[in-house]
Amino acid sequence: MKEICQSVKKKDHDPKIEGRSVYVDDYNLTASGKKILCGRLLHSIYAKAKVLSVTVPELPEGYYWVDRNDIPGDNNVNIVLDDTPVFCRDTVEYIGEPIGMVVGPDEKAVEALLKKIEVEYEELEPMLDLRNGDTTFFDYHFGHGDVDKAFAEADKVYEEEFTTGYQDQTYLEPQGMMAEPEEDGRMFVHGSLQCPYYVHGAVARAMGTGPEGVHILQDVTGGGFGGKEDFPSILGCQVAVAAKKTGQPVRCVYNRREDLEFTPKRHPSLSKYKLAVKDGMVTAVEADVRFDAGAYSTLSAVVLQRGIIAAPGIYNIPNVRVTGKAVKTNTTPCGAYRGFGAPQTFFAIEMMMDHIAQDLGIDSIAFKQKHFAKQGDMTSTQGRYHFPVPIPAMLDEVDELCDLRRKHIEYSRPQSGRYRKGIGFSAIFHGAGFTGSGERDMIKATAKLRKYADGTVEVLASNGDIGQGVRTTFPKIVAHELNIPLDKVYYSHPDTARVPDSGPTVASRSLMIVGELLRRAAIKLRGIWEEGKEQEVEEHYKQPDFMIPFYLDRFEGDAYPTYAWAVSAVEVEVDTYTGVVEILGAYGNFDVGTPVDYNIVVGQMEGGFLQGLGYASIEKMSYDNKGRIRNNSFTDYLVPTTMDVPHMVAKMHVEEYPDGPYGAKGAGELPLVAPPPAYLEAVEMALGGMKKHRLNAIPFSTEDVILELNKEVL
Amino acid sequence: MVNGYKPTTLQEAVEIKSRVSVTPYAGGTDLMVRNIPDAVYLFLNDIDELRQITQDDAYIRIGAAVTFTQALDSDLVPPLMKEAISRIAAPAIRNAGTFGGNLGNASDKADSVLAGFALDGRVRLVSAKGERVIPFDDFCVRRGVTNIADDELIAEILLPKEKCALPYYYKKIGGRSALAISRVAFAGAYEVHNGVIQAISATVIGEGKFTRYREVEATLIGKSVDEVSANADAYAERFIEKMTFTRGRVSAEYRKTVVTNLFKDYFASMK
Repeated sequence: MKEICQSVKKKDHDPKIEGRSVYVDDYNLTASGKKILCGRLLHSIYAKAKVLSVTVPELPEGYYWVDRNDIPGDNNVNIVLDDTPVFCRDTVEYIGEPIGMVVGPDEKAVEALLKKIEVEYEELEPMLDLRNGDTTFFDYHFGHGDVDKAFAEADKVYEEEFTTGYQDQTYLEPQGMMAEPEEDGRMFVHGSLQCPYYVHGAVARAMGTGPEGVHILQDVTGGGFGGKEDFPSILGCQVAVAAKKTGQPVRCVYNRREDLEFTPKRHPSLSKYKLAVKDGMVTAVEADVRFDAGAYSTLSAVVLQRGIIAAPGIYNIPNVRVTGKAVKTNTTPCGAYRGFGAPQTFFAIEMMMDHIAQDLGIDSIAFKQKHFAKQGDMTSTQGRYHFPVPIPAMLDEVDELCDLRRKHIEYSRPQSGRYRKGIGFSAIFHGAGFTGSGERDMIKATAKLRKYADGTVEVLASNGDIGQGVRTTFPKIVAHELNIPLDKVYYSHPDTARVPDSGPTVASRSLMIVGELLRRAAIKLRGIWEEGKEQEVEEHYKQPDFMIPFYLDRFEGDAYPTYAWAVSAVEVEVDTYTGVVEILGAYGNFDVGTPVDYNIVVGQMEGGFLQGLGYASIEKMSYDNKGRIRNNSFTDYLVPTTMDVPHMVAKMHVEEYPDGPYGAKGAGELPLVAPPPAYLEAVEMALGGMKKHRLNAIPFSTEDVILELNKEVL
Repeated sequence: MVNGYKPTTLQEAVEIKSRVSVTPYAGGTDLMVRNIPDAVYLFLNDIDELRQITQDDAYIRIGAAVTFTQALDSDLVPPLMKEAISRIAAPAIRNAGTFGGNLGNASDKADSVLAGFALDGRVRLVSAKGERVIPFDDFCVRRGVTNIADDELIAEILLPKEKCALPYYYKKIGGRSALAISRVAFAGAYEVHNGVIQAISATVIGEGKFTRYREVEATLIGKSVDEVSANADAYAERFIEKMTFTRGRVSAEYRKTVVTNLFKDYFASMK
């Protein structure tokens, strides 16, 4: 293990453990000593309706009603397409859409006033059907080869549908933002967020000030997992408008019910797959992928792109045709959650490959292995796997860990009795960094180092620590290159007034992209280092030369410079009396390149693995025929507890990436993606295999096991 | 600001209860969540006599303000009850949650109440005017409703010692391994001599209420365990046909299937 991998104490460890960290909800007064007004949102109660009138009662002194008429700039939140309003337009498009905000000094009084506001709605018919929805925000098509010919010449053609449900990020700290008008006229917005410059762009647009009129600070953030990629831009605009109107600091923190019901979560999906098999090999794949975008497009374009690029999985299939649609429904807009569209499609292709192997009467691990892509092969978008694909070796290592291949064959044989076993296997990649040429064309990351006269060095970048440890790993890289103690290098929570735009905290990119900029900056600083002098260096992103340019209109070229890889095996025992699935073992082998801090990466891998298992089993959330999400409390939306953590092994397999710092690649999202298909394959095997119980939907709960068994034809 | 009374004796507490409208508060694990506006609480935590686990000739006696953690550490509390309360929520809640609260808030999914039903538990209710001891069956009316009078407090849970000594069966299925409300739970105690059932109880969570089907239980007495477990489906059906399963977080079909299976498992476990 390289020296850089050695674990250190995280920089935010002590303040968090000792309770000294200040989250946005913790401020009693602003940093400048001003009182903070409480803002609470009035949410739509209909999935689709015209808002005919809003009658606000007479407000006591010091209380305000804020709505779209108060927006100084324009009523569109800058995300991707800018179709999300700050406050609703003439119609509301989902249950929970913010109509306006009541602001005042006392929270209870604000709540009481909210209840007195009368909204006159004219109800309209909502669209709540992913399968038949015909309004699509995005409709992508790509492929290569001669798919029709491959189907015509196939020995057998397989078709199947797969569905996945919502998944909520359930970060510890709910969404919360605060805005403070400053004396120089700027609007200062801060809170729980991942991407300060995203919020910066959005607030500047809503305030109509231009970028210099606002600045954004990330407060200590209690988890994000993608959930704080786009939403803080919306909430940030709302509090900024309220602060502008009142001339006072305004804070709005969601309660857990609001957060579960009205903030972005993973897109539910419906994927239709059709595969051609000739001489025991898959010769063509046709995937028709539909994501439930919700009422506004928010991040759906980029989530869908990542999802459909992964549609053929890690397999080298010569003929590919993929369609992806982000379908509008009158529900809470979906957004980013660890994996970003890929868990849905990897689930489908992994189950599909397993089902074909079962039909062919061969072991699915061997069948999949015959199709693994290898270095030099073409990707789904006609790019190349430029670097070694370590999946076969990783599979062998997992086999060694848990006797995977033997159990996979043994448990596939008919079982009887109350308790039945299964073991599932899946293998996936995660494209490291932004999709396509986004890093080069859109993000254009810049990072700086500032050395002070006393020899301490400050990292200046815009990537928020959301628990993944960048406040520790960025300084670690810099200290390593400068050969100075780690406590001489620090990275504060970013404020856009003082840090350059090194891009958002997304796409498992921070360490790989920005970490490398910082490494280069540190080398530069080392070269010009003068004792006792204040010095600054800057580095800019440069796309690696080997990349095949990516064209988004055709989905052609290298979608990612490199890939992180994961292999998972999940072993279960199903109690056929109760439906309870006990996970006997969960084994993950992860290639994130060089782990820049071993403990941090292993923690990431274990946590993500558990989220993947939750996604596959107990995390049930859906909307009813009115478009209402009823699972809005932790009693009704269950996530795994520590007691649900199975025997879990997270193994690191290192395939270094030459353009990442010390060989590091993206890590954050990788671990969530592989476990769901491995889990469901294991459960299906325990229930007797596809021919008795064909499973193709997650989450698959204890109840689903029993209802499935009740279908058994004796 | 929370308003309330903090008596140190049960006598003092029931006198307050007879005079003013108060919400009894022991562990507070539900009440803190509910956070009733302007509530006036009667805090029972400082009353020593409600925090004792004792025994007399007939009963194991568990004070209303005894916490689940305290009970798990006691040698007097029977294993069926311990198994049931060991699966309640999580350690922090078991450290605070109490028997009186679990019974008094009239949930249809209270794990300690299920075990109490299976063990023919009784509840001692005390008011300023006197006291009465009634079976759990009479105390629990339906979900959200108990038979407690306005001026009464739950003082103790009484578990008959001869039932506590019996072999037992317990199974809980929640949505996950901890912090999970019972979707289905099953508790029973039985006595078998020379292969013949002498006494049996069987009771479940999943019906939206707590009930014992004593007349059905009675039909099993005198039967051999071999006969009952060989015909488990038919004997289970005697109970199932009386039961009405609710749907909510899971379907009625799920509950019914699992309860049927657990009857089979219960009968088989007696062998």
